[in-house]
Amino acid sequence: MYDLIPHIVNGLTLGLLFALIALGFTLIVGVMEVINLAHGAFFALGAYFAVAVIGGSWFSGTEFGAWWLGLPLATRYVVALIFGPICAAIAGMVLELCLRPTYGKAPLYGLLLTFGAALVIEELIRVFWGTGEQSLTIPQTINGAFLLGGLIFSKYKFFAAAFAVLAIFLVWLLLERTPYGAIIKAGSHDSEMVRALGYDLSKLRLAVFAFGACLAGLAGITMAPIWGLRPHIGIDVVIPAFLIIVIGGVGSFWGAVAAAMLVGLSVGISGAYAPAWAMLSMYILLILVVGVRARGLLGRKSALEN
Amino acid sequence: MSETKISRRGLLTGTTALVGGVAAFSGPWKHNRAYAQAADKPVKIGITSDASGQYANSGASDRRGMMMAIDEANAKGGVLGRKIEYIHLDTETAAATGSRVAERMITREECGFLVGAVSSGVANAISQVAQRYGVIYLNTNSSSPTESGKNCHRVKFVWDGNGTNFAKAAVKNSIDAYGKKWMLLTNDYGWGHDTAASTKKLLATYGGEVTDEILIPQGTRDFSAALLKIQQANPDVVAAAVGGDDQVAMRQQVAQLGMGEKTAWINNQQDWPDVYGLPVDNLFGVFGTTWYYGLDLPGVKEFVARYQAAYPETVMRVPGNVFYNGYMATRELLAAIERAGTTNNIAVIKQLEGLKMPAESRMQHFDAWIDPDTHQVQQTIYLATANTKAGDDKDNMFKILAQSKPDDVKDDDAAAACKLESYEDTPSFDA
Amino acid sequence: MISLSDIPTKSGFPLTPAMCVFLVAVASAPFWLEAVGLYSYLGIEVAIWILYAMGFNLLFGYAGLHSFGHGAYIGIGAYAFGLFQQNVAVSLWGGLLAAILAATLAGALVATFVAHRRGIYFALMTIAFGQVFWFCAIKLRWLTGGEDGLLGIPRPDMVLGPLRVSLQDNFSLYWFAAGVLGLAVLGMSRLVNAPFGRVLQAIRQNEMRARFAGYDVWRMKWLVFTLSAAIAGLAGGIFAMAQESAYPDIMSLHQSGTIVMMVLVGGGLVSFWGPVLGVLIYFVARDVIGGVTETWLLWFGLMFVVMVMLRPEGAAGLAHVIRSRLARPKAAAPAERSA
Repeated sequence: MYDLIPHIVNGLTLGLLFALIALGFTLIVGVMEVINLAHGAFFALGAYFAVAVIGGSWFSGTEFGAWWLGLPLATRYVVALIFGPICAAIAGMVLELCLRPTYGKAPLYGLLLTFGAALVIEELIRVFWGTGEQSLTIPQTINGAFLLGGLIFSKYKFFAAAFAVLAIFLVWLLLERTPYGAIIKAGSHDSEMVRALGYDLSKLRLAVFAFGACLAGLAGITMAPIWGLRPHIGIDVVIPAFLIIVIGGVGSFWGAVAAAMLVGLSVGISGAYAPAWAMLSMYILLILVVGVRARGLLGRKSALEN
Repeated sequence: MSETKISRRGLLTGTTALVGGVAAFSGPWKHNRAYAQAADKPVKIGITSDASGQYANSGASDRRGMMMAIDEANAKGGVLGRKIEYIHLDTETAAATGSRVAERMITREECGFLVGAVSSGVANAISQVAQRYGVIYLNTNSSSPTESGKNCHRVKFVWDGNGTNFAKAAVKNSIDAYGKKWMLLTNDYGWGHDTAASTKKLLATYGGEVTDEILIPQGTRDFSAALLKIQQANPDVVAAAVGGDDQVAMRQQVAQLGMGEKTAWINNQQDWPDVYGLPVDNLFGVFGTTWYYGLDLPGVKEFVARYQAAYPETVMRVPGNVFYNGYMATRELLAAIERAGTTNNIAVIKQLEGLKMPAESRMQHFDAWIDPDTHQVQQTIYLATANTKAGDDKDNMFKILAQSKPDDVKDDDAAAACKLESYEDTPSFDA
Repeated sequence: MISLSDIPTKSGFPLTPAMCVFLVAVASAPFWLEAVGLYSYLGIEVAIWILYAMGFNLLFGYAGLHSFGHGAYIGIGAYAFGLFQQNVAVSLWGGLLAAILAATLAGALVATFVAHRRGIYFALMTIAFGQVFWFCAIKLRWLTGGEDGLLGIPRPDMVLGPLRVSLQDNFSLYWFAAGVLGLAVLGMSRLVNAPFGRVLQAIRQNEMRARFAGYDVWRMKWLVFTLSAAIAGLAGGIFAMAQESAYPDIMSLHQSGTIVMMVLVGGGLVSFWGPVLGVLIYFVARDVIGGVTETWLLWFGLMFVVMVMLRPEGAAGLAHVIRSRLARPKAAAPAERSA
């Protein structure tokens, strides 16, 4: 049992990071009933823009570039942490505008359009950043390792997990304790209601999409130092996010968080026995959960079922 | 880069033929494999290197090696007085794509020779197709022992050292230096498994012990589970056969945890494009290579200068082993065609089989030769480690520790497993 | 705009003009393929993918069941074919039968789990099962050869009574694939124009209503899923012969998404022939644009996005619109709406 503890810790941090990835996804599904398969692409975009900001590759050689690279890494990292998600959010807004013709049609079209968009963004990343692996440099304070009970743990992983907890908490605050949250939640239950209250539904959708993409970009920057960064990372990421949403129940905030922890733990613990098979455990979890409870752990009725 | 784009001529003549109502009366697909042999018809080489996927980086380096060899030959008037042309199609580090690309290059682009591969899956898929048509295929950089063992073919020549060669060079020394308790990290596909198998066999021979083997699926980015297991088991040596982008991620995470010094790491083979530009602390452990630009041998400096002149824009400022293999394979192929005096595939194969290549010409310590029974190049194998005293010279990342003679690291199992097709069973044609 | 409910059904004689054009094109392909700048192996692949796509469209277009894990069944077919050759006997018919059986079995099993689902939950369950099969194909090295695939699969001779034909060269293999495709398409065309096809469309339009009309919806869904998996398995068997190997890649989510894209681009939602167009567009784009630029997927993806936005009925839908505009220049729009 003692041997298992590090794997459980590993699984829990992984779960928190999965939750961070799934947050934006569940928000968009909940409000707009669009399965956004481009979520992973926003994740990648956020991280790639962050790499560009930290590395200063766009203005290398200029005076500004020299000044910029002279700044401490921590400063550049913080700027990247803001700039990357904003870029992802802009991309998200563009995609929302493209999605408009599909509203009111079968949910399949939203899913297909975002699938195509994911493909396009991935190829654009290849064009602009190349096919090779990129690395996102992180400040020394959160890099490196520490010893605990005779085992080495990565500092950054704990930083990332703490960051995820913070992000989850802030999103929860926004949804539950602010008037904006009330509107968003109303939108996810009943779009007629939002309109009746005098809010502009199309603006709400734009804002929610931007916010969801922004969260994806943030997750990308957080995950890139752990998972590395390559053009097809979007696909690798969107699948777990997708599974988590379904296990947790479409549109449910706490369902997504709980499912993410569950998935993280199952991957972590199965990793202790058979690392090669660890990733399969999440699919089996999905089949088990959804086989028993069609709407996932905390899901409610949704138009997506039709 | 001056890659020849696919000619549109076929398409245009095709359309006119259709319009004129004379659609290919020579019968469907009755390829006369003896292509028109006019002296002015270029010799066409198909470059089958990966441009995307796990080995995209190495594929690009591989391709630059071939292109430099071809450009140099063309500058000297081509081969047999004919110009050499090449086309490149992306094999995407995917075996199914490899099959299709090979089919297309042979039947549509009429390539007489195929060159290039990093992934063993792709190399094998291409060679199956090539053997069916009798087209000579050079596997430049895939080092799976099965490539010259059970998956060997009459038309295929393997230019890289294989997993067994590297393991032989490293295992005995490392048992003596670090200890007997070994743990294996194995990339979960052909090359990884084959390499691990030969490491295990050598460990058994020299009295080492495998405490555990962890399989790493291709595309793994999070190595924490595997690294935790290593920490808990605390072996003397970790022998890793992990390649491409997976390996880059692994090196970063091991370095982040500071595990590089705590345990002795042995990486079977270290491809230059996988580590170029990484911080030196990511380059822990001992690893094998077939060539290094810092070797103190005649000709190396000039070779590096030629590389830099040919590719002034490339991020990689010095050539590495992958480039080297691509270059050497292509150069020797062209030389063999010249010596054969014909582009007939069987004649060229016979020129390559048993070919002796002096150490000077290959810029290695010992003479190399092509084993006629397995079609693998037997060559010097170097052991290297990180060069921590490079100072400002960021390119000089390796320190060469030792070199092994080809005979000492010969892969005898491959020879036992390899059954080449007979000459009669290999279709013959003039390219 | 065309609604999703009008894949026209025809009864009686299967040799419609479209069918004749299709059969003639398939049969004559070897005579013009090379002249238009393509090559024999591509012909085989296209024939296999058309077979796969048309079988898939029974499920996707006709029954409106959006499977995103269908690559599993073509993959299982390919592995079953190879394993049969290597472990049982080198036999064409035996291998193809094994391919169909294995895929049918896997399809039937999954269908049992997913047939009572609808909409996005159906799609999700198919993804999950598809991933499980894909994962197994990669991990069961002793059986499937792992990520390297199952190698060295022979192309057995075709034995028909006293006749024995070698399928070694791509030419004869193409004829074989084309023959299978022709028969399968004739069969499928009969099927979708029979009551079975109409029930499928009824289920797509309104599952509840179909149930109230007295159809056993669950059984129909189960049946069409299994049938479509069986056809994928047959395609997989031929694919294994073409490649002389079976690789796990075709079972990945990415490839399963590709077949959805092909069917949609071609207009499988509104036409029996949609998948044919889709496969042709995809393969020609990949080969022609892909030869010019490595970023061909960018252009294909952009085309796909624009299409979903503007013309989700795909190429076949577009052709349909153009045709009806030409035929009835003025009355076109209202007539379509009522269709």
